[in-house]
Amino acid sequence: MKNKLLLVIGAIALVNSPISAHKIVEPGEPRKVAKGTLMAVSGQQWNRLQQKEGKYQEVWSVDGHHLNRIAFYGAVPVDKPLIKERHKKRAPLPKVQANMLLPDIPVLLERTYRAQYSIPNFEIGLQEPAKFIGQKGIRFEYSYTNPDDEVKRSGEGFGALVDGALYLVTYEAPSLYYFEKEKEEFRGVVERLELREQRR
Amino acid sequence: MWLKLFAAILTASIAAPTVAAEPEALPPYVPAYDPTTVDERGLWNQADELELLYKRSEHLIEDEELNAFVRRILCNTVGNDRCDGVRIYILNVPAFNASMMPNGAMAVWSGLLLRLRSEANLASVLAHEFAHFELRHNLQGFKNRRSASDMLAWTVVLGNAAAVDTRNSQISLFGSIFRFNRNMERQADLLALQYLKQSPYPSRASSQVWQYLMEEADARAAGRKIRRKDRYRAGFFDTHPTSLDRADYLLEKSMEYGDTGNAEQTAYFDAIQPWLPKLLADQVRLNDFGGTEYLLGNIAGVTGWTPELVLARAELYATRGKPRDLITATTLYLDAIDKGHETSEVLRGLGLSLVKSGRRKEGAEYLGRYLAQNPDAPDAAIIKMYVPKGDE
Repeated sequence: MKNKLLLVIGAIALVNSPISAHKIVEPGEPRKVAKGTLMAVSGQQWNRLQQKEGKYQEVWSVDGHHLNRIAFYGAVPVDKPLIKERHKKRAPLPKVQANMLLPDIPVLLERTYRAQYSIPNFEIGLQEPAKFIGQKGIRFEYSYTNPDDEVKRSGEGFGALVDGALYLVTYEAPSLYYFEKEKEEFRGVVERLELREQRR
Repeated sequence: MWLKLFAAILTASIAAPTVAAEPEALPPYVPAYDPTTVDERGLWNQADELELLYKRSEHLIEDEELNAFVRRILCNTVGNDRCDGVRIYILNVPAFNASMMPNGAMAVWSGLLLRLRSEANLASVLAHEFAHFELRHNLQGFKNRRSASDMLAWTVVLGNAAAVDTRNSQISLFGSIFRFNRNMERQADLLALQYLKQSPYPSRASSQVWQYLMEEADARAAGRKIRRKDRYRAGFFDTHPTSLDRADYLLEKSMEYGDTGNAEQTAYFDAIQPWLPKLLADQVRLNDFGGTEYLLGNIAGVTGWTPELVLARAELYATRGKPRDLITATTLYLDAIDKGHETSEVLRGLGLSLVKSGRRKEGAEYLGRYLAQNPDAPDAAIIKMYVPKGDE
């Protein structure tokens, strides 16, 4: 009896997996991203991944999220983490703070990665002012190596604080070959990205 | 079917004697040991492969002095002939761990170094790992677990379906293939104590390590406003004796030995000093306020509040960032400057804390000094935003 039950559970799990299919993002078509907080237009085809970590995030990829991914974080309010915590109490993540400054944005990303993915060597590189979604924002570069696969990844992020909420878009990919491949396309996406009027 | 597997695991667990036989004398030392059976050769092959991954790892700390220091402590403790068979790999991972593979490769995580207070503490951890090697626990553990491998395969399948994270990182592979059971841990603890007894270090230092870990866990729980982990007795399925058990039986045994020696606290901190700022910075970014505050206080108990520790504490408060934290952080940054530690980190942190507290003008002054010290810093452009023109 137990044996059958186990088989049924296994079968359901296997049949269920195709439901989590990804959606194609067609180039040139404006689309709402990150729960409708932003409007994005891509320059090429992307896959909008079904898996996301928490309600503020949306992830796009071309070759799979290990090889290249854009993560949009839209309107993360004060006292909320960027992504869903594995355990609210035992593994809490750093939260968006009301008194945050622009240089705190990369630090928030770094601390989130260190805590959530156990990344021991996250390095923040260049940080400079940049116009982002029509606001005064920050552009920053970073790199890290995940001990899971020992692949060095480079990243680039744009962030801004608007009415006490954090808007952040990051692009990351293995430093070898993949990062350069979609970098310009990512910058194009960021340039065309617009803040949507929020319902209050 | 699954019940049968479960029963197999139970039998394997119970088959091991419930009270570890305590090694009375040190086991005879065999130089250049070669694996003998099929099982053992297989394990060594796997271990060799993993060791290669460590050699190439981005996280390997290759600093010669630090490596020589850790090796010296191991050799002081287990003797020169024994320690020759061990290769030590120090990995940059900010957590408490050390592990041993059957082929003689030992991994020590950088977070371990931050959690110890003396050469004797380090000696006790290294001797414990070495004891696993000497007693060839990997092989025994592998044989015990082989009957359970079908069950493990199922766990992986079901884990994937339920989107549970069952990934094995190269670092955590050490933990899965080469883990030991509770009895082996106890045996290794007791053999390590014998090495310590014969070494220049007092064997009491062994019990201390577990006391520190319990105190840190309590401080972390308090910081996260969760209940302390009061279950200090090991459950049936736990692979390790609990910290309380270990602190307890190690202390009892070392009192029985009654050996004395210098734990070498000052020498320990002198040796890790070049790495301390990095170890502290990694710890501060872990989002563990209570645990980190405890660690800093505990280190300060030995070394006093050095400028590096004051800076780490300032950064800890600044990153938590509540209005009252910013006041504490500002005070601590200023303390660091008073101690003659006017480094870029201090100036930047102080400046940003002041700006966040609404004291933009004073903040701009310190940020201006930061920029003057580091005109080419990678964040110079963004920091300039907070320094009105003319203040630079």
